[in-house]
Amino acid sequence: MVCERKQCASGDRTGTTALSRVTFTGQHCGYPEVGGVVTQQPPKSKTCKRSGCLHRIKYVQKNKEKDSGNMEGAPAKGVLSHLSLLEVKARSRKTQLQQQSRVMELKAKVEALKTQREQLKAQIQTHQDLQKLRLAMDKQCADEEEENMEEESENSKLLRLMARHTQLKDLLHAHHLIGGYDIIKTRKGKGACVSIATAYEDVFLDTFNLEIDLKPTVKISRHNIPPFIPLNNLAEQNNMQTDLRVFLDTLSKHLNAFAGRKQQLKLVKEKHKSVEVMESNVLCSLLVLLFTVPREKTAVLCTLDYTDHTRCLPTRVHLESEDKQLPDSPQWKKNCTLLMETPVHKALITMKKMGSIA
Amino acid sequence: MDNTVKRLLERLVRRIPSRMLKTTLDKWSRLTATQRQSIDYTESKWALTEKLLAICEENELTVKHIAELEMIHVIENPNLGMWHAFQLMDPQDDAHSVELTQFKEQFKSHLSELIRHVSIKIKKHTDEAVWIRIAWGDTFSRPNHLKPTYVVHYLQTPYVFLSSLTSKQKPLLSQALVLSTRYQAIKDANLSGRKLTAIRDLLMKQYLQVFPTKFPSPLAERNRVVSNLHIEKEQAGSAANRHQMACEAFGDGLLPQLQSAVYKLETKFRDHTNKTMTERDEPFRCVVKFASTNLLESLRHSASSGVASTPVTPLLSSVPLKGKNYFVITDNGPGPSSQK
Repeated sequence: MVCERKQCASGDRTGTTALSRVTFTGQHCGYPEVGGVVTQQPPKSKTCKRSGCLHRIKYVQKNKEKDSGNMEGAPAKGVLSHLSLLEVKARSRKTQLQQQSRVMELKAKVEALKTQREQLKAQIQTHQDLQKLRLAMDKQCADEEEENMEEESENSKLLRLMARHTQLKDLLHAHHLIGGYDIIKTRKGKGACVSIATAYEDVFLDTFNLEIDLKPTVKISRHNIPPFIPLNNLAEQNNMQTDLRVFLDTLSKHLNAFAGRKQQLKLVKEKHKSVEVMESNVLCSLLVLLFTVPREKTAVLCTLDYTDHTRCLPTRVHLESEDKQLPDSPQWKKNCTLLMETPVHKALITMKKMGSIA
Repeated sequence: MDNTVKRLLERLVRRIPSRMLKTTLDKWSRLTATQRQSIDYTESKWALTEKLLAICEENELTVKHIAELEMIHVIENPNLGMWHAFQLMDPQDDAHSVELTQFKEQFKSHLSELIRHVSIKIKKHTDEAVWIRIAWGDTFSRPNHLKPTYVVHYLQTPYVFLSSLTSKQKPLLSQALVLSTRYQAIKDANLSGRKLTAIRDLLMKQYLQVFPTKFPSPLAERNRVVSNLHIEKEQAGSAANRHQMACEAFGDGLLPQLQSAVYKLETKFRDHTNKTMTERDEPFRCVVKFASTNLLESLRHSASSGVASTPVTPLLSSVPLKGKNYFVITDNGPGPSSQK
């Protein structure tokens, strides 16, 4: 019989002939080993051939309570052997337990993965339903909706709400892309932050932000809008409490117009150095320019009033000159109309080309 | 030569640093080219003063011209002296269309009506600021040019910045300002500091503010690049969070330089272990002052490093939010509820 323990190097222990079959358990270094056929006379105890191991191999007969061969040295080794037996039993129980708990673990994991799979399937299904509903909503098939009204269950109501939610989010995103304002939730729904982008002639300029408290009343808590934009007046006039959208639209108009006028002034200063800016203000609602007529070298003072703060074009153009007849000449009347209808930096280019100004 | 002119010029030459004297004099443009060339700027201040006095006598310049020179210097260096912010209240309908000439005329006429001897100089700076220099006199004496008041106002905004104003002069100036800007009242904005540019930037919201946005904030990208891949910061997440909240409360980048914040407490004493104090009826008066070379920067740093708890308490975040650095706190509720 060869010990089937892996590392054990002990060799064959059987005798020559098998006269009776007796199962025995051998204690080998405290570990159980496979029992086998043995001769009538169990071999003498041998030392373990495992290197470094000093244990003796003992052969204990299982069916018989007592075995004479085993009683040799039993009183001296009985306690130790008993202890080793107990140790072996304990170990085997542990591995069994471990195996059992491992099995339970894996079973639990399987269950969890199964539920996750079910959830994911449900999500895919909801998503597909949502897509269908969105298509229907976008096409605005009012008839279909009315038909389905009575049959709506909780689920389909919820689905409809979710579809509407995604529709609004897409709309907001599109609005942001075209340069309109953007709004996000803050502080877990108790507040919102609006970002208003400004642009002029296809160039994005400054972005202004507003933080709004939604509860208990709609109120502006923080913003970076300059003080010459009458924010509080606009909030009151447009009734920010009830109609936030109108307020934001008006504010966006004011800010975009301001950014446009400011940009025009910047371009005039950069591109038209021959034209002197006599007066301007922070709101860019007033511009006084000094032109020089070529050849005669007469000075013309041009006042542009932008009284409508939601527009980038002036509401009034006034010309003054030392030459009293100049403002009434047909050329300058044309220039006047030009300044009313085109942005000032472009109008100046035309006027230069026409030779009205230097 | 007039004594006042002499004294004013002396004081001015002393104040203006030598390296800036040349440019200031050139801007003044009251000296001829030869005169300008004849000045040796490496000489001592005393020698320069003598030279300039001689030139001014030559050109017959009066105290008004010297006042001009002083104004040029102050406009170029607005961060000297102590500035106080005031706010105009209740605009009338035409307040938004007040333009410069109208304002100048109105202000001069109103102030001259209120006080007989006063010297007013108004100048518009390139950044749309209207600067006013006022030398006050009274019924018996001529305007005192050695103690002028400077006023800065941006048309179409409700803010006015004042420096060197006595309490006697205040009501006169307030009335003139209110009438010429077409508002109905003026009140103290409770913001003061040494740097005009700082308090102006704070009120006009000219510094970089941080708002919550849908898209990743550039703050994250600008954060320090990981210097050593083997070092991992355990609390990187919470540190980034604190930094974000600190920046939302105070702003990002360079902040306007305020020097102090004063909190005047008039609240009841609340420590239960101290019976004598809590039993008193009168509120406990206490003044807390924060001082720093750059107050907002220090507050932001204390919030982002965790010294001050986040979310930032409204007591601290009110400084940039309301544009004030003087608060009176009473018992009506948490945070600065009642302000002068």
